[in-house]
Amino acid sequence: MSKKMGKTILSSALVFGLVATACSNGGSKDGDTVTITHYTIDSPDRTFVEKLIPEFEESHPNIKIKVTKAPYEQFDSKLQSSIAAKNAPDVTSHWGYGGFMEYYNKGMLMDMTPYLEDFNAADYNIPEDVMNIYKVDDKTYGIPLNSYVTVMLYNKDLFDKAGLEYPPTDYEDKSWTFDKMVDYAKKMTVDTPNLAEAQYGVDFGFGERDQRPQYFGANVYSDDTWTNGGKPSEINLTKPEVVEAYKKIYGLIWDQKVSPTPAFSKSVSGQFGDPFLSGKIGMSVVGSWSLAASSDFNFKIGVAAVPQGPNEKVRSVLYVDPLFILKDSKHPKEALEWIKFLITTEVQEKSIELSGGNPPVNQKAAEKYYSNFEGIDPEQIKQVFEGAYKYGFESYNHLISNYSQINELFINELASVENGDAKVEEALPGIQEKLKALLERVNK
Amino acid sequence: MSDITLAKPFPDKRNKTKVDLARIIGFAILLIVTIAMILPLGFMLSTSLKTTKEMLVFPPTVIPEHFAWENFKELFVNEEIKFGRQYANSLIVAIMTVIGTVFSSSFVAFGFARYRAKGSQFLFVLVLSTLMLPYPAIMIPQFLLFTKLGLHDSLLPLILPSFFASAYMIFLLKQFFSTLPNELYDAGRIDGCREVRLYWSLTLPLSGPVLATVAIFSFIWSWNDLLAPVLYLDSQENFTLPIGMAAMLSSKFRIAPWNLMMAASLLSVLPIVVLFAIAQRRFVQGIVLTGIK
Amino acid sequence: MKSTRESRREGRLFYFFVSPWLIGFIVFALIPVLASLYYSFTEYDIIHAPEFIGFGNYTELFRDEQFWNSINVTLKYTFISVPLTLLLSLIFAILINQKIPFRGLFRTAMYFPSMISGVSMALLWFWVFNPQAGLFNYGLSIFGIDPIHWFLDEKYAMWALIIMSFWGLGGGMLIFLAGLQGIPAHLLEAAKLDGAGRLRTFWNVTFPLLSPVFLFQLIIGLIDSFQVFTQAYTITQGGPNYSTWFYVYNIYINAFKNFRYGYASAMSWILLIAVTAITFIIMKLSNRYVYYEGGRER
Repeated sequence: MSKKMGKTILSSALVFGLVATACSNGGSKDGDTVTITHYTIDSPDRTFVEKLIPEFEESHPNIKIKVTKAPYEQFDSKLQSSIAAKNAPDVTSHWGYGGFMEYYNKGMLMDMTPYLEDFNAADYNIPEDVMNIYKVDDKTYGIPLNSYVTVMLYNKDLFDKAGLEYPPTDYEDKSWTFDKMVDYAKKMTVDTPNLAEAQYGVDFGFGERDQRPQYFGANVYSDDTWTNGGKPSEINLTKPEVVEAYKKIYGLIWDQKVSPTPAFSKSVSGQFGDPFLSGKIGMSVVGSWSLAASSDFNFKIGVAAVPQGPNEKVRSVLYVDPLFILKDSKHPKEALEWIKFLITTEVQEKSIELSGGNPPVNQKAAEKYYSNFEGIDPEQIKQVFEGAYKYGFESYNHLISNYSQINELFINELASVENGDAKVEEALPGIQEKLKALLERVNK
Repeated sequence: MSDITLAKPFPDKRNKTKVDLARIIGFAILLIVTIAMILPLGFMLSTSLKTTKEMLVFPPTVIPEHFAWENFKELFVNEEIKFGRQYANSLIVAIMTVIGTVFSSSFVAFGFARYRAKGSQFLFVLVLSTLMLPYPAIMIPQFLLFTKLGLHDSLLPLILPSFFASAYMIFLLKQFFSTLPNELYDAGRIDGCREVRLYWSLTLPLSGPVLATVAIFSFIWSWNDLLAPVLYLDSQENFTLPIGMAAMLSSKFRIAPWNLMMAASLLSVLPIVVLFAIAQRRFVQGIVLTGIK
Repeated sequence: MKSTRESRREGRLFYFFVSPWLIGFIVFALIPVLASLYYSFTEYDIIHAPEFIGFGNYTELFRDEQFWNSINVTLKYTFISVPLTLLLSLIFAILINQKIPFRGLFRTAMYFPSMISGVSMALLWFWVFNPQAGLFNYGLSIFGIDPIHWFLDEKYAMWALIIMSFWGLGGGMLIFLAGLQGIPAHLLEAAKLDGAGRLRTFWNVTFPLLSPVFLFQLIIGLIDSFQVFTQAYTITQGGPNYSTWFYVYNIYINAFKNFRYGYASAMSWILLIAVTAITFIIMKLSNRYVYYEGGRER
């Protein structure tokens, strides 16, 4: 049934697209083809769009799509350089260090509103509140493409070995709490310097370091941040509730000893790797992109709700990836055609498989996404995602201006705490001052 | 230890036993140090042949239980590493750099060695002063220049500067050219065409060894360079080996592939080993003459 | 005596031959140095036009904790690694210069590793210093020493880098060896006939004769270590807690990650001034202390 529906939507989208194309063609000479550059990350879960091009070009004979790519580390630098060389791509997303607000404040993004008169998010099954994430002053700067959430993955083998019950997928099951998670974790932890035997209960990777206290009901930034273009007027790192939150977070490593130390993580999985994949971690609170690789794991995994913490409202970080049209694009209309093509139900469904499991923003296609993971019950995934949407908060890196510099600061300044060399309450006042100075400079 | 610091050995019959003791201690120290220097290389080789499981065993095994030759194959087969492509890029950059450096530097050095002109002294001092010029002091404007020209994310910015001579190599070659006997060039009239011929068919053929030294060192510098490629190269297909290898540490892999990284390191050291084996004397000469490593 | 016409022709030929370097010098050195001075007075992110802000970048730099930290880190590395490397390479050169078996082998084994620089070396040492399965901690465990977290611990990361730098001392050793072998035997014989002991011979004859080599090595060593980048980029990313946040890494991050080309240019210029000043000071001082055969040449 959903497939049929999808087809209807697709065909209407196609008709709509053709009409729009015809309109935009009116201005230029007949037979002119326009090339749209789509700039993306060089990894299979992104470069798959190349496989969608033939179909698009067939239905849009006057548009050619060219894909350019760079690895994550180099993503922003290539983007900036190509803008400087007057060679900017037309369509891209914030797939590097910087987020939406950073791009927006630099004036890199095109206001799409004038081209969106006939665009109706409902045609693409995009929830209104998701659509609103990339609006500033009622102007639309981005159209959502994928929406990731934070989930808990767990290693079923380790659970079985410890004789533990699997954690629930239902966010309304309030017995699944942070403290219970820690209890479980204790039962799976083998804390020893011997790498071959060491094993840890939980890796609590909720958002980036500055967002993590949100789970405990504490906010690092003042509330005006979310309404004034991502520029916090105050930082609360020395407030007692924030200090307590960080104590809980790092207490998992150093007091409870149920979480891996950075030394352990880095020596099993490298500088940026995820130690969960080594099979030596019981539970991992992590972005749902980790699910995409689930079929390659050499142990059985399960997915569960992020346990109920002190914050009643927020239990999951949302990462909605949009597509932007860059300001220098000469063909915004054609670029929009390509974007609309990518969010149609059929293409979004197709993308799930081609990408290895990107969660579609199109809620119709999401149904298919939930059944994409071998060995995991679709109903469970659906429940976890829906709960996460309900209790979700958009990731700070999309919302705060100059995020890459802020994040860099947190990573470096908290390293001594993570390594067990400093106490939370010793480190935070220094970070508070440095962050203040940084924000004063970048937001002047 | 200072007791044995004799600069040059010369016969000493009176203190024979003492000298022997000193030599034995010296020998022992050298032996230990040499082992310490070689050990990491052995560790590299051994890890490169271990399976992912075995590489994390503690204490590390010396000889892998099972030789995992597939690590080397994996480097070339794995689409996400693009090792072969990056190896080729590194070779292209290094070889082009060698060609550029050898010809341009010898050309310029010939000019400095053979002619006097107004300002020639000053210009040579200028050459020497650029020896000290740190690359980071000029990299930003260079980067901006190449980027505005649209050459970003291509190998050209890495190759192009080498065609405009390197100060080190000019210095080295000028020293050598100045030692060539003047009579070689004796023949009255100076004219442009003939001078280029003197450079090309007389001077260059006589300078084989020193040119080899220049070639080897410009190859190694280019091969090992990281900073400039990091600035210019953004796509994985365009990476040179050093960036590609540094990128292997990143999250694409579940477990840091130390065995693959060691295999990659081993292969990346290979050209240098080969050069070293066939031209050890040129290495020694190059180090001694330029005073740089 | 050459005729004017001939010397004019010679002049033309000179400039013809040095033109590649001259063009390269102007385009790739002179203009960049001046451009970087200009950028250092601007706010520039490559996307928007540079905005002139006077000494803004410099005043900000002097208040920037990270700037001072990067100087601190770089100097710490320099002042420990350079003298020690120099001293060790001199000692090993002297040892190898004795009549002992396997001299060639020792020499090769010692300077071959210095050819392997860059990322291969960085990866290898990252692995050697791996806290759990690395060679170094295994070595320590034999002596009953608990594992050290090296690059993951801000107290040890710098030391790991310094230990790593010794691996490259072979090049310096070779230069000293060449210097030692260039010392005329008659001078050493003469010292011996005067009844000088080994130590005195070294201090009074060998070392003065080696001092120009020593000086050159010192300058090169200092300039090199001011520019450490590969290790910070590959292994530590400047961390943990900025303990390996080297000066050039700081320039790199500010220019190419934070896109602050003006601010980074100001740092580049300070580096240029520092390198020039240090070279100049050492040269000046050396006039007093360094022995050049055949009188003072400089």
